Amino acid sequence: MFYPLAGVRHQSYVSDSKLFPVPTDRNLLIVLTVAAIAAPFLLSSLYLNSYVQPWLIWTALALGLNLATGWAGQLHLGYAATMAVGAYAAVHAARFGIPWEFALLIGGLAASLIGSLFAFAALRVKGLYLAIVTLAMQFVMDWVLNHSPAISGGSHASLQSPRFALLGQEIASGRGLYYVALGWCALVTVFMMNLQRTALGRALVAVREKDYAAAILGVNSFYYKLIAFSMCSFIGGIGGALLVATFFFLAAPEQFSVNVSIQVLAMIIVGGLGSIIGTYFGVALILLMPGIANEIIANLTSFLGLPLGNETLAHIPTTVYGALIIIFLLVEPLGLGKLYANIRDYFLVWPFDQFKK
Amino acid sequence: MMGFFKYSVAAAIAGIVALSVAPPAGAAQPLKLGVCYDLSKAYTFATPQVSQAAQDLVALTNLKGGIGGAPIEVIVQDHGNEPQRGIECYEKLKREGVFIFDTLSTPVSIAMLPRVMQDKNILIQALVGRGDAVDGGVFGWVFPLGPTYWGQVANNVAYLKQVHAGNLRGVKIGFVYLDYPFGQEPIPILQTLAKVEGFELKLYPVPLPGKDQTSVWTQVRRDQPDHIISWLLAGAHVVASKEMKRNGIPMDKYISVNWLNEVDIANIGAEAAKGLKRGTNVAGGQDIPVIQEIIAELYKKGKGSGPEKNLKDVYYNTGLAMYSMVLEGARQAAKLHGTPISSATMREGLQNIASYDAGGLMAPVTVTSSDHGGGGKTRIEMWDGEKWIPQTEWIAAYTDIIWEVVRKSSSNYHN
Repeated sequence: MFYPLAGVRHQSYVSDSKLFPVPTDRNLLIVLTVAAIAAPFLLSSLYLNSYVQPWLIWTALALGLNLATGWAGQLHLGYAATMAVGAYAAVHAARFGIPWEFALLIGGLAASLIGSLFAFAALRVKGLYLAIVTLAMQFVMDWVLNHSPAISGGSHASLQSPRFALLGQEIASGRGLYYVALGWCALVTVFMMNLQRTALGRALVAVREKDYAAAILGVNSFYYKLIAFSMCSFIGGIGGALLVATFFFLAAPEQFSVNVSIQVLAMIIVGGLGSIIGTYFGVALILLMPGIANEIIANLTSFLGLPLGNETLAHIPTTVYGALIIIFLLVEPLGLGKLYANIRDYFLVWPFDQFKK
Repeated sequence: MMGFFKYSVAAAIAGIVALSVAPPAGAAQPLKLGVCYDLSKAYTFATPQVSQAAQDLVALTNLKGGIGGAPIEVIVQDHGNEPQRGIECYEKLKREGVFIFDTLSTPVSIAMLPRVMQDKNILIQALVGRGDAVDGGVFGWVFPLGPTYWGQVANNVAYLKQVHAGNLRGVKIGFVYLDYPFGQEPIPILQTLAKVEGFELKLYPVPLPGKDQTSVWTQVRRDQPDHIISWLLAGAHVVASKEMKRNGIPMDKYISVNWLNEVDIANIGAEAAKGLKRGTNVAGGQDIPVIQEIIAELYKKGKGSGPEKNLKDVYYNTGLAMYSMVLEGARQAAKLHGTPISSATMREGLQNIASYDAGGLMAPVTVTSSDHGGGGKTRIEMWDGEKWIPQTEWIAAYTDIIWEVVRKSSSNYHN
């Protein structure tokens, strides 16, 4: 009923590999896109620029990591390091006077280059060993940032980003910055959706499932792993640059520390490895939930008149947040994306599945 | 179970409703202080005491009729030391009419800085954030209100010069520091002073998080410096004291940064810590008029903002000092321009704080439009096994050298 499948028949491979085999998915996406475009006129500036905009930027970032970890199956614990390379390269380029369009590209390419360099060393090992090598990349980057004022910029290592501009038009308003984030996130999302139905995407999945089985099928697993790392780093680099240019307005090493790497990894694990919609949910949970839980608990205690100390009040939301992650992963170990897929599967046949019982 | 579920949903809805109900319009608009602190992650060794001090001091001030007839309100919120959530806190409170913010976290204050400068709101960043923010000419809306780490380390060197009868030539000073911006910050000043005063400087970086210092202290033993200046935090002091013991380095060589409190002393052992020194901008202990007043007016009447044991912690005094300065700034603002106070008048008020020491609580502070740090005075105190004994007056040494570094660094900032 919600997902009419009548008349949906595929008679060629091309039609079978369409982006939206079920029209309802496409319609849903159109509604969401319209809502996203209208959001600046519906939401207050607080929600738009302190919640939705960072959510979109981080979703684009998490999708990049999901490419390497979710699709190609390569555990990556140094993602924040690639974000840092992108951010610092782009900000330095922009400070040098290069227009932001090219500065972002330089950031992406620099991140891609350094990410691939590390991948050359890292891809000689697999699994947990790979995780440790990528973690090393993170620590090397932390060290470099903390010990080279030329990169990280003077006192207490913070490098201001010049005003963001695209096509010669300076973008400073909250709405403008939101649209930049939305545009980038949409671009990455469309890329990821299409990646799934290309030979490249299928090769990545083959490598993830079993790399030597893929090799037997003629898929050069080292090559595709390298591609996955460089694409992941490219998205991470541009995402890191946009994070600084449109949200933080300055780059500091703490914004790219090891806990950020872990956080992005948590986003895609909670959201669902290899799931696009799941990444959106995962980012929302990991990024926004602490603040929202804080708000709800604070209001609740003041409403009920509970005399709690500052510390207790700060720890309750953290506990709630941790418990939520555990509950979601207990209910559905494959993440929030799978939870959504389960609901969708249920409605695909609803109400006719009742007849079977 | 279902009943509980329904109850929680009802409670959650009630909470959201409570959110939307506006407070009754009072006679005077309260002056709101936005305290966005890290109460759950890295800075928890100090934030509970400091925020409790802020709330107690404000409660005491409100008992006496507030400032210029207007009450003061403290809004405390946790940001977990994440720049992202710090910005969320800033953006939210900004819309609730807060224009004075305090983060007590270096990463968050750095992340907030561009927004504060843009929106012309006031950022209090005592003891955290970029050191060159004392330059009021460049950072017009940022008030570090206290010594920079540059000033603090220079004062330590001045104290050592005093110990060596005015001549540091041939003296060997070791600098043990956590190897990230907090610990690295004093190095250029130490290097400059080593040239000026002719002492030998040895650097000993401690890798984060400072739990393993074995190799550092064997190196110290080999070099045998005459004094050790330490830029460590919380538990790292305790590790350092153990390693010093193991390597036979006497405690009285150790001069700590201000971040060493009664908890650390207890962990080192009150007796073992004898002779240990620290630089500080606040007087330790409870023998201070404002603390006695807080105990009598609030804690004796059960109106304290937290556990009373926190009052015995020097970070409580640090918090009182910070907020005494903020409230003094508000008083000056009310005196100059009356209430309600705006961010512009508050800034002028803060810049009019003159020789203010909050009744012996801290080093006297004079803030001007060019110096937002208040002069940067500190003193050296020594732990005698029971209490802290001041070793010097409140001093601010080598100020010309420090301002040279400040101006050089702040000139790189363009809003």
